[in-house]
Amino acid sequence: MYAFLFFIAFSFLPAPAWAQQVTLGASVQLTGPVANTGRYYKDAYEFAAEKINAAGGIAIGSTRHRIALKILDNQSDVNLSVRQYVQLLSQDKVNFLLGPFASNFVLADSSIAEKTRVPMVQGGGASDQIYSRGYTHVFGTLPAASNYFGSTIDAMTRLDPRPRTVALLYADDAFDVSVAKGTRELLKRAGLKTVIDERYSTNASDFSVLLSRIKSGKVDAVLVAGHETEVLNFIRQAKSLGVSPMLQSFTVGVPSADFRQALGRDANGASGMTAWLPSPALKDQWFGDAEKFAREWKARYGYEPDYHAAAGVAAVEAFVNAIQSAGSVDPQKVRDALAKVSFDSLYGHVSFNDQGQISLPQIMIQIQDGKVVPIYAGKEFLNKLQYPLAPWDKR
Amino acid sequence: MALFVQVLVSGILLGGLYALMALGLALVWGVLNIVNLSHGALIMLGAYVTYFLVTGAHFDPFAALPIAAAVLFAIGYAIQRGILNLVIRGPMFNTLLITFGIEVVLMYLAQLWFSADYRTINPGYAGASYAVGGITIPFVQLIAFAIAIGLTAAMWLFLLHSRTGRGIRAAAQNLVAARLYGVSPKRIYALTFGLGAALAGVAGGLYGTVSQINPYIGGALTAKSFVIAIIGGLDNPLWVIVGGLFLGVIESLTALFIGPTYRDVASFGILVLILIVRPSGLLGRTA
Repeated sequence: MYAFLFFIAFSFLPAPAWAQQVTLGASVQLTGPVANTGRYYKDAYEFAAEKINAAGGIAIGSTRHRIALKILDNQSDVNLSVRQYVQLLSQDKVNFLLGPFASNFVLADSSIAEKTRVPMVQGGGASDQIYSRGYTHVFGTLPAASNYFGSTIDAMTRLDPRPRTVALLYADDAFDVSVAKGTRELLKRAGLKTVIDERYSTNASDFSVLLSRIKSGKVDAVLVAGHETEVLNFIRQAKSLGVSPMLQSFTVGVPSADFRQALGRDANGASGMTAWLPSPALKDQWFGDAEKFAREWKARYGYEPDYHAAAGVAAVEAFVNAIQSAGSVDPQKVRDALAKVSFDSLYGHVSFNDQGQISLPQIMIQIQDGKVVPIYAGKEFLNKLQYPLAPWDKR
Repeated sequence: MALFVQVLVSGILLGGLYALMALGLALVWGVLNIVNLSHGALIMLGAYVTYFLVTGAHFDPFAALPIAAAVLFAIGYAIQRGILNLVIRGPMFNTLLITFGIEVVLMYLAQLWFSADYRTINPGYAGASYAVGGITIPFVQLIAFAIAIGLTAAMWLFLLHSRTGRGIRAAAQNLVAARLYGVSPKRIYALTFGLGAALAGVAGGLYGTVSQINPYIGGALTAKSFVIAIIGGLDNPLWVIVGGLFLGVIESLTALFIGPTYRDVASFGILVLILIVRPSGLLGRTA
């Protein structure tokens, strides 16, 4: 009853009745070549802050603190993003740091957090390199890059006919090199034979040579670790060169709406992975559940959220939880509280290992008839995988 | 062996598209003495014009190319008359800076207007291909190659035989003499820049049929066009074709024998070598 009265009283209070605020700062790619993914983080931070503020903000002791955001545009330039994180701390006096998108950015930017002892929670970098430096103030909500293909390779060993030869292609950036390193190990353990293991340059636009090698090498399964532009070019050129292995899987792009839009029917059959699907089973204190979150996001921003969006929201929620349990905005106390957070969110269960990284299983997914279909989540097949893939003109 | 031939064929087809991209840059450079750093951004705009004609007005991509060319011609003409003409007498560094500025403006306007979403020009026949003796020849790339060769040849004939073409060459060779013979530099320069932009527009439309489009593809394409223009020299459009094919084949063979990460090392290594050994171009006249 009191809770109800409190709620009524609260909802009639004018909004700017905040005693104090906690400012979270981030430098995100809003323009430049990776703006397309950078926007997920800006939108996620803003959406989360708004929801949490609407529900009363952060409770520190008996006072309510509003979440304020300071988001800068790093123009997809790593050097600029480092300078902006310095600016956020020295000039804008933000309390804590949220992350940018992409491992190579996080690698550089997290050093600012570590050096100044201000905790950063980031949902944009998965590379194992981020967590292998002994940093104590960097926490991540994306699971380890080295295991991105884990569920896929597990599923491959259960397929009939079993793929025998694998091509592993990866871009030469921090994230994809980590993916390749882990995948190589996983493939060896699964007893699959890697016949092509090749690195290509980031933003490569021509894949005809690699595709020709895949075709002439009679490769059964192709695993590509690359960014979305590369994956789009790869798929289009695979079609025009008639390269159709039994299975094709990509680290990035498959769960994203604009990937499917750009490729149309050619996206069908592509498989990939995601740590998050908008399931009603994922309950959240502020958003209700993940399905509801996805619906509201779509209505608000005009595009569908993917795991980048959910990981961004989880980063904000991790701060709220940590600050509340620390009962303070002292950076060291919040850092120690972050190391111990453990809560359920629309993204999944959030807690960090000793290195500061979350541990979540990757769900293997495949695009079937223009929709993302979950295929395999580590134990059993959730849906039937289209396998071996039909020739391009029948997809 | 089949792999080698396949890679060679891919390299040649890629080279045709490269050549078309570089053609406009080489033309503007040769006549106006402007290294147009916004060339890649014009290619990007051409790709978007084609994309919207295909998705919005249901044009066939190849039928949309003349419209893309016309739109880009108008944009190019306006840029030259309205902006570049004001500094054409200035040092080369100024024009370099201005075209760089134009590139940045076009890039950010493109994100503002079209968003940073990745797009593709994807007609029903986009993935069609011919198989000849175990070698796959993608249909769209073959057409793009043919258009590139055709346009280059047309450009060559135009410069050689038409009155305007002769005016353009005259302005490039000796402006004072050309003016004495009644060539209006303002008009000729705007026309040339417009033509360069129109060629970029066609190249962009074709690029969109084989690759993805976003507002930021321009920079890399400018760099590639620059390398080809250096290899081919600025004298003759036909050498630009050879330069494009040369680069396409070298890149593909590098990717095959040395590794895909070394593609750009090869192409920019060649650029450095040529600038040291034959500054007027591998195929151009020596001064």
